Amino acid sequence: MAISERPDVGRRQALRALAAGAVGAAASAGWVESLAALSRQQAHAHAADAVIAAQDWTPKTLTAPQNELVVALTELIIPETETPGARAARVNRFVDQVLTDAPAAVRDSFTRGLAWIDARSRALFKREFLAASAEQQTALLSRISSDVEQEEAIGREFFQAIKGMTINGYYTSEIGLRQELGDNGQLFLPQFQGCSHAEHQ
Amino acid sequence: MQIINPATVHPVIVIGSGASGGMAAWNLTRQGIDVLLLDAGDKFDRSKYWTHVQPWQAQERAARGEKPPQFFLDTAEQPYTTPEGRPFALTRVWGHGGKTNVWGRVSLRYSQMDLKASERDGWEIPWPIAYSDIAPYYDQVEQLIGVCGGTDDSEALPGSKFLQPPPAPRCGERLLMRGMAKLALPVVAGRRANMTRPTRGFPACHYCGNCGAGCDTASFFCSADHLLPFALKTGKLTIQSNAVVARILTGDDGLARGVQYFDRQTGAERQALAKVVVVGASCVDSTRILLNSKSTRHPNGLGNGSDVIGRYLCEQIRLNVTGYFPQLEGTPTRNDRGIGGEHIYMPRFNHLKGKGRDYLRGFGAQFWNTGASIYGAHYGSEAVPGFGASLKRAIKRRHPAWFEIHPFGEALPYAHNRITVDPAKVDRYGVPVPRIDYHIGENEKKMTEHMADTVEEIVKASGGMLVNYRRGQLDAMGSAVHEHGTCRMGTDPKRSALNRFNQMHEVKNVFVVDGSAFPNASEKNPTLTILALSWRATDWLAEEIKRGNL
Repeated sequence: MAISERPDVGRRQALRALAAGAVGAAASAGWVESLAALSRQQAHAHAADAVIAAQDWTPKTLTAPQNELVVALTELIIPETETPGARAARVNRFVDQVLTDAPAAVRDSFTRGLAWIDARSRALFKREFLAASAEQQTALLSRISSDVEQEEAIGREFFQAIKGMTINGYYTSEIGLRQELGDNGQLFLPQFQGCSHAEHQ
Repeated sequence: MQIINPATVHPVIVIGSGASGGMAAWNLTRQGIDVLLLDAGDKFDRSKYWTHVQPWQAQERAARGEKPPQFFLDTAEQPYTTPEGRPFALTRVWGHGGKTNVWGRVSLRYSQMDLKASERDGWEIPWPIAYSDIAPYYDQVEQLIGVCGGTDDSEALPGSKFLQPPPAPRCGERLLMRGMAKLALPVVAGRRANMTRPTRGFPACHYCGNCGAGCDTASFFCSADHLLPFALKTGKLTIQSNAVVARILTGDDGLARGVQYFDRQTGAERQALAKVVVVGASCVDSTRILLNSKSTRHPNGLGNGSDVIGRYLCEQIRLNVTGYFPQLEGTPTRNDRGIGGEHIYMPRFNHLKGKGRDYLRGFGAQFWNTGASIYGAHYGSEAVPGFGASLKRAIKRRHPAWFEIHPFGEALPYAHNRITVDPAKVDRYGVPVPRIDYHIGENEKKMTEHMADTVEEIVKASGGMLVNYRRGQLDAMGSAVHEHGTCRMGTDPKRSALNRFNQMHEVKNVFVVDGSAFPNASEKNPTLTILALSWRATDWLAEEIKRGNL
């Protein structure tokens, strides 16, 4: 029925991906796709909304240091430019909520990934990630965001996971959708204009 | 709560209030027949929908503890089972209007080609009716519910004379159309039950695009808005909410005499008696009810001497393909909300000269999520490489450039694709739950190859790029939410459960009017046909009552 051609199909596909267990991108580990799917679902089902808007908030799954690391990583992925970035959009709260709702094994994979980031930072730069310089932080993310570098699977998988969550959290926020993407938010139109560009006809 | 007095014998009980049951109740009551309508849920309050709640407003509401309406039935409340390794994604809405509250609204007439497919290829049984039998009902339904579309009829997709004006295509849809034209593939204006003109006192669609949240202005067809209130006005309709029907009760003569149901709020068992029972609970639940209605006269389930009920489940196969048009990258963000889904449709084409392949039946394609998404970045954005300011810039540039292609293909009816009731697993009322055993065969696999080839050709011809592409990976079985075939119509009582008026061959006072009555699925969305069939069946039922035969 599509209940199928509804635009919320992303959420439905996500639910199904979860139900079927990792029907993920061929290259993704199961837990990575599971988190991506869950974050799409959360974004569309407003599941994390209450925590994002809350006045007082403490993480439910992440520890305080882990939360700080997540804030930094999400801001590196979607930084402040002419528009605010992931930190201002409270994407860390979204991440914490997605993790809270995730299966325990998936949650553990993510926190192992966080620990790996610090361990790798110590190995490369002799200091934990948050204490590393901006150049060093960017260098480490470059290593795990590329298939060319021979970083461990856990690092590359972790990057994919947090990137997916960051994108889904950020671009469903007012900052992401209106300020960054330029959505005009118009919900009542007398006519639908459609494409009037000669070059597309 | 209203207690139904079992001493009352209702002229007609209708089970379910979605497209099929809602239509039955509306059509019978307007002809002066008293109806008791049982629905497994309650009325959804349109004034409380989140249709026009922006994501950030949703955050404020959620912080206050508010929730959007919960349309979908939770499997924790009502489970169903599947065999190991064969998942089936069943979507159920229990509540007034059923799935029409949130349906995709694509409204495509079945053609003579669809109805007579098996006469041509010999696979299973044809429909016992021709296009000319149902065409007048399509005419009536389209005028009643308001369907927009073009004037681009073909053998595969007939009957546009009562359509309202279609919305203009979005940029990405224009590019797809151009690609399809190069390949000599048919493409038409989408046909959807979004009213683009005010209809029967309801305002026209205002293009917010959030139809999946339910329409708070009732500008697309929903049985709870467009049928039930009109039926109630006749004074002939009684609605019993939260009535989860378990069984149809029969007498010594083998005829139906009423139904047994459970109150969803209290769990109390109840009965309601009737001279005629119309079943419109949606394919899977109608089948569950019929199979659980065992008696001495009906040891294999109600009206199931032929053993066809539960068999021949057909649910369409579907690909979900995502890509973007480099030509649209970096163009200004537009308001692409429109009527929610795509504004174009690719009808079936493999019957055309030179376009066929070695498999039976066909497929069409839909294109939802094409254009700037109203939900933020398209999930294909996760595949944009890198991080940081360059990633942010790339996602913004690509925001207006996304397209999606969703071919829907017919799955053949197979006797082994089957709904049964699972005596080992019962629901909270002690009633056996449905067990769905479904898998596709070689014909569908060949069709999938053709679907994938076609998608790749369209993308190439229109200048697009694919993202996260996994050739031929079908969506989870059940995802089309178009279940059919488990209580099929036909001329031969040995091979079908219903006659040409949806009346049971073996139990003349029971009618089954939902998608389970379809002998085959076609590649099209079924709701328009369900509405037309239910209207036709209940016209016949009303005549039979007046003739004194029921």
